[in-house]
Amino acid sequence: MEVKPDLTLDLKGLLCPMPVVKINQAIKNVPIGGVIEAYATDPGVMADIPAWCRSTGNELVTIEKQDKVIRFVVRRLK
Amino acid sequence: MSERIQQALTAFEKSLDRRLLAALEVCARCGICAESCHVFAAEPDFRNAPAAKAEAVRRFYRRLHDPIGRLFPWWVGAKDLTEADLEELAEIAFGACTLCRRCTMNCPMGVDTALIMRATRAMLTAAGKAPEMLTQLADAAIAREENLEFFREFYIDQIRELERELQEQTGDPDARIPVEKAGAEILYVALSGAHTILPAAVLFHAVGADWTLSMFEAANYGYFLADLQRARAIARRIVDEARRLGVKEIILAECGHAYTVLRWEAPNWFEDFPFRVRSIIEAAAEWIQQGRLPLDPSANPEPVTYHDSCNLGRNGGLLEEPRIILRAVVQDFREMSPNRAENFCCGGGAGLVAVPEWYEKRMRAGRRKVEQIRQTGARIVAASCDNCRLQLGDLNDYYGLGIRVSGLIDLVVNAYLAARRMKATAPAAPVRVSVQELI
Repeated sequence: MEVKPDLTLDLKGLLCPMPVVKINQAIKNVPIGGVIEAYATDPGVMADIPAWCRSTGNELVTIEKQDKVIRFVVRRLK
Repeated sequence: MSERIQQALTAFEKSLDRRLLAALEVCARCGICAESCHVFAAEPDFRNAPAAKAEAVRRFYRRLHDPIGRLFPWWVGAKDLTEADLEELAEIAFGACTLCRRCTMNCPMGVDTALIMRATRAMLTAAGKAPEMLTQLADAAIAREENLEFFREFYIDQIRELERELQEQTGDPDARIPVEKAGAEILYVALSGAHTILPAAVLFHAVGADWTLSMFEAANYGYFLADLQRARAIARRIVDEARRLGVKEIILAECGHAYTVLRWEAPNWFEDFPFRVRSIIEAAAEWIQQGRLPLDPSANPEPVTYHDSCNLGRNGGLLEEPRIILRAVVQDFREMSPNRAENFCCGGGAGLVAVPEWYEKRMRAGRRKVEQIRQTGARIVAASCDNCRLQLGDLNDYYGLGIRVSGLIDLVVNAYLAARRMKATAPAAPVRVSVQELI
C-alpha cells in the first residue's frame, strides 16, 4: 500500500553527505510516525540512507531507483 | 560537579599528553596567530583569534593543573568548567576552528591550537555536546559495516550501472569496476557517490591498473568528532578489507581528512598495516610524469586556479602533485596568493559543511577565500577535497562568484578523454608531457 508522505523533499543534485543532512533536518518537522518522501540523484544515498536509518532508529519504508532518480521513503520512529 | 562536566573533564584528562601540554603551556599571547586565521581575517574580533579560542580551554586547564590557578584562580584567570562553558566551547571548537593549522605554522612558538581544539572536541563529544549531524554520520558509517550484507546488493547494483558509463566513456566494452577482487594490487577507497568513482575508474583503466573498489567510503566523521573509538572503527573497515583482499596499496579519493586519517593516523592505530597509502592525486601525478596518460590540455581551456586543501597540503605535504597535474591538463593555470602551505582554509573544513546551523558562520569564514579566488580571475576552482568542494560551491552561490568548482581528477579525465578522441580521429603519437617540463 502506498504511504502518503507528510513532506516531500527534492534532493536531486546534492552530493554526499548533504542528502543525509537534509533528511536529518527535515525529519524534525514531521510528527513521530510521520513519513518523508525524497528524490535524489547521488547513488551514494542507496547506501547512506539505509545506514542512517539503522543508526538513528528510523524506518526505511522503501528505496528504489527509476532511471537516474532515486526515490526513498523514511518513517520517523523517534 | 555535574555528571556531564565529569565526563568532559575525564575525556580532557585522557587527551593530556606532552604535545597537548606544550600547546597549552607555551603561548606567549603575542597575537601573531590572529592574522593567520581565516575566521579572524573575515571577522577581526579578538574572540576569533586562535589564542583567544585556546584561552577558553586554558582557563579550566589552569584551574586543574596550575598551582596558582588551584589556590588563587582569579590571579591567573583560571576558572571551573561549567555547563555554560561547554556551550561556548562547542561554538569555538566545532564552529569557529576548522583545525587547519595555519596558526600553528605562523606561531613563533609553534603552538598547536588545532591540537587544543581537537582535545576540546573529544571532550565535548564525550559530554554529548558534539553536533548531532557529525555524530549521526559517524554512526551511519559504522552501521554500514555492521549491515554489510544488506548494503552489498544496493552497492553492487550501483557499481554495475557506473560500469556501463565507464564502458561508454572509454569505448571499451570490457572495462570493469572490480569490487572485492582478492589479490588486486590497489584498493581504491572512494567517497559515497559516483563523482569520485567514475573519474578514478577511467584513469585506472587508462593505465591498466590492477585495482578493486572498496565497499566502504573514505570519509571518517569520527575523526571530526575527535572520537578515537569511532574514528578507529570507521578506519578499521577499510584496513580489514585491505588485509582480506591482500592488496599492496590503498589509494584514496580526493578527500582531505580521509588522507590524514589513513596516511598519517591509521598506521599508528593498527599493528598490522602492511600497505602503502596514497591519494589519487599522487598516483595521477606519477602517471603523468611517467607519460602513461595521453593528455590534451585544450579540453580545459578556461583559467583554472587551485585551492590547497589544508589536510592534503599544509598538513599532508601534497603541495607539488596538484601543480604537476594542472600544468599538464589545463591551458591557463593561475596560482592563488598565498598558496601551498600558506593557503587559507576555505572555511568549511573539519566537518563544518555538514552542520546546517553553521551555514552563515562558514559563509562568513570563507570571505578571505572568496577574495583570493576573485584576485585570480579564474573561471574554474580546482580542489582535491570533497569538503572543500562543497564549501567552495556554497561560497560561489552565496557571493555570486560565477565560477565552477571541479575536482583535479575530473580535469585529468577531460584532458585524457579529449586526447583519446583526438587519437581516434587523427591517428598520431599521444601528447606526452616531459618530466622536465612539469617540475
